[in-house]
Amino acid sequence: MQEWSLSYRLGKGLRRLFRDKSGVMAFVGFAILLTYLIMAIFAPYLAPYDPVRRSGKAFSAPSKEHWFGTTNLGYDVLSRIIYGAKIALKIAFLAVAVAAAIGIPLGLISGYVGGAFDRILSMFMDAIYSFPGLILAIAIAAVLGPGVINVALSIAVIYAPTYFRVIRNQVASLKDQLFVEAARAMGARNFSILGRYILPNVLPSVIVVLSMNLADAIMTEAGLSFLGLGISPPTPDWGYDLSNGQRFLLLNYWWMILFPGLAIITIVLGFSLFSEGLNEFLNPNVGETRR
Amino acid sequence: MFFILLFMIFLVMRILPGDPVLAMLGGKAPMSVIEAKRHELGYDKPLLNQFGDYLLDIIKGDLGRSALTKRPIADEIADKLPATIELTIFGFIVALVIGIFWGAEATKRHGGVLDITGRVYAIFIYSIPVFWLGMLFQWFFGVKLKWLPIAGRISPLLRPDKITGMYLFDSLFTWNMPALKDASLHIILPSLALGLIISSVFLRMVRGNMVLMLSQDFVKAARARGIKENSVIYRHALKNAFVPIMTVMGLQLAALMAGAVLTETTFSWPGIGSYLVEKIRYRDFPAIQGTIAVYAIIVVAISIIVDIINALVDPRVRY
Repeated sequence: MQEWSLSYRLGKGLRRLFRDKSGVMAFVGFAILLTYLIMAIFAPYLAPYDPVRRSGKAFSAPSKEHWFGTTNLGYDVLSRIIYGAKIALKIAFLAVAVAAAIGIPLGLISGYVGGAFDRILSMFMDAIYSFPGLILAIAIAAVLGPGVINVALSIAVIYAPTYFRVIRNQVASLKDQLFVEAARAMGARNFSILGRYILPNVLPSVIVVLSMNLADAIMTEAGLSFLGLGISPPTPDWGYDLSNGQRFLLLNYWWMILFPGLAIITIVLGFSLFSEGLNEFLNPNVGETRR
Repeated sequence: MFFILLFMIFLVMRILPGDPVLAMLGGKAPMSVIEAKRHELGYDKPLLNQFGDYLLDIIKGDLGRSALTKRPIADEIADKLPATIELTIFGFIVALVIGIFWGAEATKRHGGVLDITGRVYAIFIYSIPVFWLGMLFQWFFGVKLKWLPIAGRISPLLRPDKITGMYLFDSLFTWNMPALKDASLHIILPSLALGLIISSVFLRMVRGNMVLMLSQDFVKAARARGIKENSVIYRHALKNAFVPIMTVMGLQLAALMAGAVLTETTFSWPGIGSYLVEKIRYRDFPAIQGTIAVYAIIVVAISIIVDIINALVDPRVRY
């Protein structure tokens, strides 16, 4: 019974998915993301060369042996991009997971409890939210130093308020709804009201925020490592590769900057298409109003 | 909000692992030297006292001294700030022009060419890192075509007399034409890169608000009176969409500052963004903290200004 209804809903969902543009968008985004995910997981098998070993002459232009050319140290650009997907996705997922793990519970509690606790916490979160994210991340990353976890943490700090705000505002309006009151009247404890009645209602918007944040997190990570605050070289990382490529820009070695940049663009595009489509799919009446 | 921001900056800088004194002196300094330095910088006092001192200093306009150059940080930042403001203003103008006109034109025909291309443009440009776009410009216009300079604000010998510190305005005020031309050429690429990136957000926002406005009764009334479509869009709808647009644009200025850090680094633009990055490279913590505090001041100032303008434009808003 349960399974039937699930597969029925899934089928109906799929048909809806392809009925309009938002569905196609989500699908294209998903396809891009899947490609990158596969690239990241199977990097050792897919990459033609070791990304941190000299594999040919330095600065060789794109050719049959090196599709995307080589860097100043003779590293293969294509291999570095494939391995770079691993770092980018790892940091982005870690950062967003930490941000959600901080923001969601705090938002739930803050919205549900209300009062002075809510006001003070909201004030803190709003202060972080209003501050330019990248600059905050720069400051924290500068103190923490390089490394996957440190970079992820500094990105997480700037996205936690997003979850907090979304959740808190929804919880605050949900907690006075009839179904919550009914649950309370039947003697449900606060904990189970939050977990079983309120949380399922706010999850759809969380998922959209999540996929949107992944795009931003990748962008922020690229920015941080471009500034030299990311993973320490020679670990393959798109942002670092770009800043490295810029040093040789005057010599016309365009392949060193073109391809890592395209990698960032396509993966961010994948996430934003996916989240955009998902948004209209999950919250059809929250999105842009149509004429 | 300002105090909360400052407090957090303070906490981040002091409590997070990584001792600033150790970082400044290097791991091999003898204990006595480290202790002396700690005392000199006031790090041995209780935290709350330190924060109190810090707040007092900031109110007096004193951000401390750079650990590297020993110059007052406030002076160093004051030297760099005009460059950032100049870049931000021109980036903002680029974004504004593209965002408002494209956004408003896109709403004329739903599903029309401008509407569709606008949406594709917005999603696509949002995915481009500003430093990559900047590099592409540098490569194409600077290296390939050799049309425009790719780094710095002005050729060294042409620097105009200092009035505001913003070269374009200074050279205009002193009627220094060679400097004006040179500075204009220098600012084109960075402001274009920065402005294009931010324009996607503006475009979407203007479009979204305009669509909302165009479904309102007063627009229907204006159309019924036979007013030209252009005038309906720009004089009736856009004017009313202005308040929500302004509020978000104020917030976007913060994003513009963040983008400016990357743009400045890309184009060796000597503003506070590249100042911050340089100081991070040397682990000059007092200077880092001071720069971040200045950013906090700017953010708060912008939000106050936006509120004031809102109140002036919209008579319903009162504080």
